[in-house]
Amino acid sequence: MLVRSIVIALVALAFTHAPAAHGDDRLLSDDTFAVKSTGTLRLDGAMLVAMPSALPSGMATGLSAGITRECGCLLAYGARVQWAYISESSTFWNVTQQDLRLRATGSLRHAFGRGSLALQLGLGTNIVYEDRTRAQGMAAMLSGSALETRAVAALPAADLEAVVALHVAGPWLMIASGGPSVDILSGNLRGGWTAELGVGWQP
Amino acid sequence: MKYLCALALAGCGNLQGFGGPVPPLTTYTVQITGQPSAPLAHPQIALVWGMQWLTEALCILPPENQQAAAVLSAGCRDPFGFVPLRVDANVPTDLVSPTTVDVYTLPTADVMVGDLTARVAYASFVLYDDRNDDGLLALARPNRLGVPTAGPGSETGPTDQTDLVYGASFVTMTAPDQRVGYREGAFIQSAFYPRAGCGDPPPAFSVLAASGFSPFAAVQATLAGTLPQEDDPSQCVQAAPADQPITVPVQPPANVKEVACTENNADSSVRYREPPADTPDFTNRVYACVHLPSFDGTTSSVIELIVSGRTDDACVGITHYVLSGCREDPNCGTPDWDVAPPSWWPC
Repeated sequence: MLVRSIVIALVALAFTHAPAAHGDDRLLSDDTFAVKSTGTLRLDGAMLVAMPSALPSGMATGLSAGITRECGCLLAYGARVQWAYISESSTFWNVTQQDLRLRATGSLRHAFGRGSLALQLGLGTNIVYEDRTRAQGMAAMLSGSALETRAVAALPAADLEAVVALHVAGPWLMIASGGPSVDILSGNLRGGWTAELGVGWQP
Repeated sequence: MKYLCALALAGCGNLQGFGGPVPPLTTYTVQITGQPSAPLAHPQIALVWGMQWLTEALCILPPENQQAAAVLSAGCRDPFGFVPLRVDANVPTDLVSPTTVDVYTLPTADVMVGDLTARVAYASFVLYDDRNDDGLLALARPNRLGVPTAGPGSETGPTDQTDLVYGASFVTMTAPDQRVGYREGAFIQSAFYPRAGCGDPPPAFSVLAASGFSPFAAVQATLAGTLPQEDDPSQCVQAAPADQPITVPVQPPANVKEVACTENNADSSVRYREPPADTPDFTNRVYACVHLPSFDGTTSSVIELIVSGRTDDACVGITHYVLSGCREDPNCGTPDWDVAPPSWWPC
């Protein structure tokens, strides 16, 4: 009963002090979703999922950021940096890898309405930091390289992504991309994939 | 240098992923002493983890009669002997030079005794002739009569043994031994292959040695509610695997065959069976009629038929028949069977 009374009192108080709705204070107006992007430079950030650069299985997750400059209506170029993390285990190893993926990108793009569709080719390298721990090694009191090894490698890499960008409001865009990727590990060409979902800013 | 290499955007570095050589968790050195009387076809050394096992009461009480003594002599294993549960590494040996045995996995939870904060496992290195050349030491079980291989009362595993054991570093607690120890957390002395009078096993893998204790000391200690003291504490060893090789003396197979005999029941409990209508195959077996054993000096009114294994069995064991009762208790309130004595019933 007491609780009910308190709830009623709070609701009444809220209504009593609620500001009157005025046209100037509306959250949504006619131009809320107007596209205000006039520049050619676009920054974006995204969440990333990808096949790990140097592991045969699993899915690496991470973050991605990029800058793209549109030149004309068909071409764009830019640069991207991605960080991905994965931790996987086998019978004998617990492996953690962190990928730093650096790309120079070039795109063929087509704008339509609020959006644009692009085919983006990225060339660069995957810098992979690997930390391996021998499974059960700590319980067996292993130490040194018998317990843990670390390595860093740079793998030539490329990816081809379809990029969909949609102007949502003002300078803000929603961007989704994905496609196949390749890298060269120990002289062998390895296939993979990558996908991103993020937000862009194009003033 | 590695970071510079990485920054050079070239394919370099040495990522291993799940590949590459796997370092062993520990390595033991095993030396065989002596030579078998006949050449071995495929001599191998196996690392065998032991189980916690208690013999059944009938095997440690005085026999009721001469026939019972014969059955117990043929059907009871050494109550202080090492009882295997799981075979880990199997490595070929030339019987002459020291053999290196790499261990790649920890003992599984079922061979460790204790809780998560303090548990220990013990193992024995077993020398055997891998006569079927499958690379593995097979563990056999007693050949009891009328045992189903599936369902209630079943016992799994082969009753015949192709491999022939020629020695072990840890055969019985009543003889000097060298054993593999693996300890996690603290160490609490227990009746699991006890070594009272010796130091605690060091954490992780180790080599442990002890002089053993006499059966008389074991009985006295049990009556006193304590653990039997090792006969000669000066023989106690607690060492790291790299510091202490393990010696396996060659012995006649008949002396050490039980090292490859596992058990289905570890808690001294007996599985009783309903006598079949037809005469069981008593070939090469001895049998006797005895009262149910008790430790309080009273004589049970229940008579059971005990049957030994065959003389040529790989592992010894006893089959228990009662006319009325349940699988785990002949005195259960609601018997699973209650039958009239069959025509062959000797009791």
